[in-house]
Amino acid sequence: MKKNLSILLVLIMVMSLIFTGCGGNDTPEVKDEGEEVVTIKFLHRWPQEPYNTFFEEVVSDFEADNPNIKVDMQSISNDPFKEKIKVVLGTDDAPDVFFTWPGEFTNRFIRAGKVYDLTEEMNSNGWKESYVYSQLEPFVLDEKIYGAPFRVDGKIFVYNKELFEQAGAQVPSTWDEFLTTCQKLEEANIVPIAFGNQSPWAVSHYIGTINQKIIGENIYKAYDPAVGDFSDPGFVKALEEFEKMVPYFNANANAIKHDEARNNWMAGKAAMMYVEIVEIPEIESVCTDEFRDNYGVFNFPIIEDGKGNQSYLTGYPEGFVVSGTTKHPKEAVAFLKYLTGKEVGKKEALELGYINGAKNVVEKGEIADVVYDNTQIVFEAERMVNWLDSGLHAKVCNVYLAELQKLMDGMTTPEEVMQKVQEKATEVKDEF
Amino acid sequence: MKRLKQKNYLIYMLPAIILISVFVYIPIIQNFYYSLFRMNSYTDEMVFVGLSNYKKIFADEIFYISLKNNIYYAVISIVCQVGFGTVLAILLESKLAGKLRVFFRNIYFLPSVISVTAVGLLWYFIYNPNMGMLNSLLIKMGLENFTHAWLGEPNIAIFAIIAMSQWQYVGYIMILIIVAIQKIPIELYESAQIDGANGLQKALKITIPNIKETLLVTSVITVIGSFKLFTEVYVMTSGGPYNSTQVLGTYLYNTAFMYDEMGYAAAIAVIIFVITFSVSILQIKISNSGKE
Repeated sequence: MKKNLSILLVLIMVMSLIFTGCGGNDTPEVKDEGEEVVTIKFLHRWPQEPYNTFFEEVVSDFEADNPNIKVDMQSISNDPFKEKIKVVLGTDDAPDVFFTWPGEFTNRFIRAGKVYDLTEEMNSNGWKESYVYSQLEPFVLDEKIYGAPFRVDGKIFVYNKELFEQAGAQVPSTWDEFLTTCQKLEEANIVPIAFGNQSPWAVSHYIGTINQKIIGENIYKAYDPAVGDFSDPGFVKALEEFEKMVPYFNANANAIKHDEARNNWMAGKAAMMYVEIVEIPEIESVCTDEFRDNYGVFNFPIIEDGKGNQSYLTGYPEGFVVSGTTKHPKEAVAFLKYLTGKEVGKKEALELGYINGAKNVVEKGEIADVVYDNTQIVFEAERMVNWLDSGLHAKVCNVYLAELQKLMDGMTTPEEVMQKVQEKATEVKDEF
Repeated sequence: MKRLKQKNYLIYMLPAIILISVFVYIPIIQNFYYSLFRMNSYTDEMVFVGLSNYKKIFADEIFYISLKNNIYYAVISIVCQVGFGTVLAILLESKLAGKLRVFFRNIYFLPSVISVTAVGLLWYFIYNPNMGMLNSLLIKMGLENFTHAWLGEPNIAIFAIIAMSQWQYVGYIMILIIVAIQKIPIELYESAQIDGANGLQKALKITIPNIKETLLVTSVITVIGSFKLFTEVYVMTSGGPYNSTQVLGTYLYNTAFMYDEMGYAAAIAVIIFVITFSVSILQIKISNSGKE
């Protein structure tokens, strides 16, 4: 008898070991008034300060306005985010509202049904019209709207005025002028361009821009993994043009990080750098007052014989989407609308120096002029061109970027690079 | 009565068996199963592709680069960690070390207790081409021609990473060997002394034959460790520049989480499993043979 009892006990222990954690807890909280409180999960990618506090405040403001919604916030930092989001979206526990980069990075989730279609909500109550369209467009796939912009961005050149003066160099507006400027700086023993390409997304920004300027509208088709084949001769031409600027980068670009290169530029060790507009608040916050007056910005030079619209700007907004498997779409959409709206946008601009995609969020003078002026570059651009790395299918992108690093070391040729990219693109197309 | 007892054994073993199955055996089998599909982590869609993942792997340039790098790592580690570690151990256990024995033992052992991530960052800065200690030192010594972008040049980068690991783990292997040396009966050395053997003869004729087992086991540990290599590469280069420092571990990780090819990654995992499993069998064989 005793033995049976002990066997039973062991069995119970085993079972409890196995089944702990299997239970769900789905009973909704009920408030005193009898109103049901809905909890939505929210995932962003800024765990560091001051951003995290900013999001905490946004969430508590939202909860105060909507007593029936509770927001459960979590965050993962940039690089791990790219991996973890894929894993959590595969589970039943996916966040209801989550951060994402529009373009192919998001499109694959859309194709898998993991992103909620906002078209209907966007078209009612003028929600869609509250955004600058060039910033909303990136979230559109097959004429359906899937997300909203939270932070706009674009790629521009920053340059050191003093070093330019020393070399007698002019701010260039065309590609030829740009190469002459580089030449002049080089002759004056100044490193023309600071470049850190240890993580090769950095080079993809140059190539993305040059591709668009040379090839034009065809790139949108070429980047689509279902049909793109990279057969346009412009892709090779773009790399040939890029090769012309490679000698003007600092030495060992493949061995240093982007941030490190930026520090070198800020220390006056190089004259120019191709940076994102969202880096400007960072530059402003760490540079000396003297340096602050000593740098200027200019747009990527136009390539005169290029087929592309030269007033497009490389850079895509970042934003948020609602999960396609959410159990509370109404509440999640309400939160998304608040999060990317004008009210939060203003707070965001004042506290973080970031501008969201809503119309007329801040007036000139309300925030630092340099941030305001540079953001205008984004809003004035006719259309945004996606970052090459998040615009391409991951497999194609991987080959493209590795080959570009090789090209910078002179270990391959533009034709060979594009041949490898074409091979991979064909392979990816076959899997569609 | 006896039968019941036997049944009880089984029941008491059940929790351990279930836990090991759930966390070790079932995932291994599942992993093999997944390697036959094309899939990613965020959809339920699985396309059966048979053995084509394996076919692709054996035609994959990067796979061979990774394998080659793992083999470099294994060979260099055996020579440096086990070889040099043994020399260090013998020196520290000989009369030469004297009172500084404990001091040196700790000095050499210290790096292996630091987290790999921290060591990786530390060496990342040492190797930095502009402000790194290594290049500055070379320039100070008038050896400008020998400066490199250590982690940025495809021919050098993997060896720079391997060098760091040797620095970190030589002390660890050394300690294992010291323990083995201390187990050798002192009488052997005393009789050799009477026969007029010198230090080198004692090391070659007494120490090495007596620690043969430990040498084999540490070699096997080192080889298995080489094929499980991940953090060092991930922290320092993430496989770049252009995949020249990719090892099987990082390549598996990248294919799974960056390029969305879970099935392909599972197939790479199967290959890593086959390699480490064969080495482990070798280890088991060796340690059995060691029963005197």
